[in-house]
Amino acid sequence: MTRSAAAVAALALALTGCAASPPLADGLPATAPGTIELAQTPFFPQEQYQCGPAALATLLVASGVTVEPADLTPEAYLPARKGSLSLELIAATRRHGRMPWVLSTTADEMVSELESGRPVLILQNLGLPQIPRWHYAVFVGYDAGRNVAILRSGDRERLEMKWQRFAGAWHRGGRFAMTVLRPGEIPPTAEPARFIEAAAGLEAAGQRRAAAAAYDAAIARWPEQPLAWLGRGNSAYAEGDREGAADAWSRAILLDPGDAAARNNLAELLLEAGCLDESRRQLERAAAAPGGDALAAAIADTRAKVDAATATACRFGERIWPD
Amino acid sequence: MHSDRFRRSCVALLSVALVSMGAQLPAAASVVTTSEAVAARQGDGRAVVDAALARADVQAKLAEMGVDRAAIEGRLAALSPEEMRTLADQIESAPAGGDFLAVVGVVFVVLIILELVGVIDIFKKT
Repeated sequence: MTRSAAAVAALALALTGCAASPPLADGLPATAPGTIELAQTPFFPQEQYQCGPAALATLLVASGVTVEPADLTPEAYLPARKGSLSLELIAATRRHGRMPWVLSTTADEMVSELESGRPVLILQNLGLPQIPRWHYAVFVGYDAGRNVAILRSGDRERLEMKWQRFAGAWHRGGRFAMTVLRPGEIPPTAEPARFIEAAAGLEAAGQRRAAAAAYDAAIARWPEQPLAWLGRGNSAYAEGDREGAADAWSRAILLDPGDAAARNNLAELLLEAGCLDESRRQLERAAAAPGGDALAAAIADTRAKVDAATATACRFGERIWPD
Repeated sequence: MHSDRFRRSCVALLSVALVSMGAQLPAAASVVTTSEAVAARQGDGRAVVDAALARADVQAKLAEMGVDRAAIEGRLAALSPEEMRTLADQIESAPAGGDFLAVVGVVFVVLIILELVGVIDIFKKT
């Protein structure tokens, strides 16, 4: 090897800075199939710099939404950056009534999502850490025997990429991967906290129905999670269902008496129903709860409203509230 | 005299603005959203407060970065408070997937060599 060739090789290693990843077959979970390909996944060839909208449209259409990449450009393309930020792809997903599901940073979860029939949007850095070329593609399958990943990418409807290059580009891209869930779908690898946080994102985006479906699914799977009940109560309240909200928030408090958020929200509901004494009692519990400090401003606001209200008959009647 | 009147109208205008802000805040904050509760549980009470500031920041930056003004509100509305804060911090630095590549001179030559030896795919059509 000449000296210059050695220098180039050394430079290459220094610049990429990534350890060689093992072949696909070595890293596959024991239960995973040797090959999988979601061949029905639609394809949208990208316009210049528009791989974000094209990749997201692929996932949304695969999940039953009617949308074109051009519809997503005004929602997720950032002209000055000549590209799309992943946070904005997440937000755009919600606007179409679907739940963005950001995967953990292991390839296992991508494989699990493929097995569930969901194509995976990934961020790749096709260049170097120091000179990036950021690109979104859709991972639709793999063949462990031939050691390739199968992608919808750019203007290639079916791109096969050697697994190591695929894994390397994904690693240099910060290992961002996401799928799109239909309302009420829960991935097999989901943990309650991550799933409920994702549902809360739908709620924050004003997607009430999709959020409600996600909380219901969470409760069916993890009935002991107070945050799922808080979410169901918030959804019911937003829909004007006061009884449903009262039931759900009460359940959240029974599961976790230190749930300051559920107590504050229940106090607001009680205030609106004219049950001022009970409202005050819930607020005192909320303020004394371990999580009360972080929500002090909201609790103080509710308290001020209770203090300013005039007493009327409690419209909830003789109901028993959580202690 | 003249400046006195000006000052008085300024004060009046500010008072109206502040009072109407005050009137809006309790109504918006009375029910804790699930995102806020998640943030509070993670011991991050600031997320809620900072999100309001971050929102104005992101709004201005999106306009500056070429997003159509009519589209900005909808983009902001789909973000959680925590995400709003992250976006405000990273809108200029976070990876923007779009195949854009800005390189010049000697770097370009190095890239071609790396591409040829199969380390990267920076010039390939994807």
